[in-house]
Amino acid sequence: MNELSRAQIRDLMAQVVQHQGRVLPDDDSADLREIGFRSLDFSELALRVEDATGEELNFDAPGLRRIATVGDVLDFLAELQRQ
Amino acid sequence: MTVATSPAGLDNRVVVAGAPRSWRDLPAPALPSPGAVLTAGAADALAVARHHAGYGTELLLAGPTRVDATMRDELRAAGFAVTLFVDGVPQTTPPATPRSPEAGRLWLLTSGSTGRPKRVGHTLDSLTTVRAAQPERTWLCPYAPGSYAWWQVVTLSLTQPGQHLVVVDPDELDDWPALAATHGVDAVSGTPTFWRRTLHRDPEALARVPLRQLTLGGEPVDQTVLDRLRALFPTARISWIYASSEVGASIVVHDGRAGFPVGWLDRVAPGRPTLSLRDDELVITSPHHGVGLDGPVRTGDRAQIVDDRVLITGRLDSDEINVGGSKVSAGLVRDVLTAHPRVAWARVTGRRAPVLGRMVVAEVVPTTEPLGSATAAVPRGSVTAAAPLGSATAAVPLDEGVLVRWCAERLPDYAVPRRIRLLTEIPVKETLKSDV
Repeated sequence: MNELSRAQIRDLMAQVVQHQGRVLPDDDSADLREIGFRSLDFSELALRVEDATGEELNFDAPGLRRIATVGDVLDFLAELQRQ
Repeated sequence: MTVATSPAGLDNRVVVAGAPRSWRDLPAPALPSPGAVLTAGAADALAVARHHAGYGTELLLAGPTRVDATMRDELRAAGFAVTLFVDGVPQTTPPATPRSPEAGRLWLLTSGSTGRPKRVGHTLDSLTTVRAAQPERTWLCPYAPGSYAWWQVVTLSLTQPGQHLVVVDPDELDDWPALAATHGVDAVSGTPTFWRRTLHRDPEALARVPLRQLTLGGEPVDQTVLDRLRALFPTARISWIYASSEVGASIVVHDGRAGFPVGWLDRVAPGRPTLSLRDDELVITSPHHGVGLDGPVRTGDRAQIVDDRVLITGRLDSDEINVGGSKVSAGLVRDVLTAHPRVAWARVTGRRAPVLGRMVVAEVVPTTEPLGSATAAVPRGSVTAAAPLGSATAAVPLDEGVLVRWCAERLPDYAVPRRIRLLTEIPVKETLKSDV
């Protein structure tokens, strides 16, 4: 499996935000609601990770509830690749 | 061999492989009845059509790639001799279960967009939907032999004097404007994909064809492609037709606008199709229907009322994308994308996605040059009003971000394509379709 690093996932996240005409903060503790990163953006990021790795991600929906910050998104997707 | 009956158009000019002749000059193959004839050769296919018109043999005509080995066995079991043209020479396999032919019966195969192609019974008469005298025209026929659209053009030329035909072989398809200009083509029927592909590849060559009639059909027709063709041919008649092997030619629109007037819904008139909507599906009761398809026929096509028009947006089973509970019409999103002046073609689909179930994604072919009339072409209704198009928009290099922002200004957020792949060529199938 072609696993992405946390930094590579961050680059993809920055692309998603950039397409909305915004900039992803450098701070991993940035609140997703404050930067306007919504479920549509999260789903798009997941598709980009899948496209980059060539692997389908297997989501555990309850796990999504604890995602509140940029760092949470990166940690979650990095972890998900290893499952 | 002599032709038993004489269709009225036998002396019309027919150009095949660049060589002019008449219907009368085509070779006269000896064909069994009932017979399934498989050929991709334009001259062979026309000769078979003329043979049927002369003798009324029971016939199914199709390209060899449309009928696989299993279907050939099924046809032989159903009493058909199967004839395959190899280098112009017919090679016939007899039926497994011989039976008497049904005089005058013509069989068409459905497009197979919803599964295996099915046989639909017609006659030359039920396929002939243009009966009134027409101005003299030279038609280009780019369609694959045996398709409903191919028969439409062929029956017109066979039955009406003054309706000439120039046939394009598949390997000539991308260069058809040069062929058409050489042979005086002034009327062309093609799918929106066919037209977009031509506009994309060589609009200058297209503009040199002295077209007086442009016809679109076989796929959803959006305002942008109509406007782009109108810009090239300001005085030509531009028509779009809704037709299928099941219900025949049922909607013909000449006003240059996408969709048809709402006032046509549920209008009953003798000899004319009745158009209805049921649960967003177009339902047609047509006098031009195939055998066993009288009464209301559910077309499987999705239609939506937007202002004063009924827009046909795509196939019911693929047009609606459910994004986290919000319904999106792939056709309407495609129309927004193709309205961008740097977009030559777009395909919009749903893709499985976490959290939301599905997301809207797209493939896009950029134009080499910006095209005009974008603002007027953006559909209204479920989408927000079109933003004015400045010259800056046309000048910006096209990338995924530009298209996402273009869509975000015109669509609800859940309908904006989130993954947009840029392609270099407009994909096209043998049917001249790419989206259905």
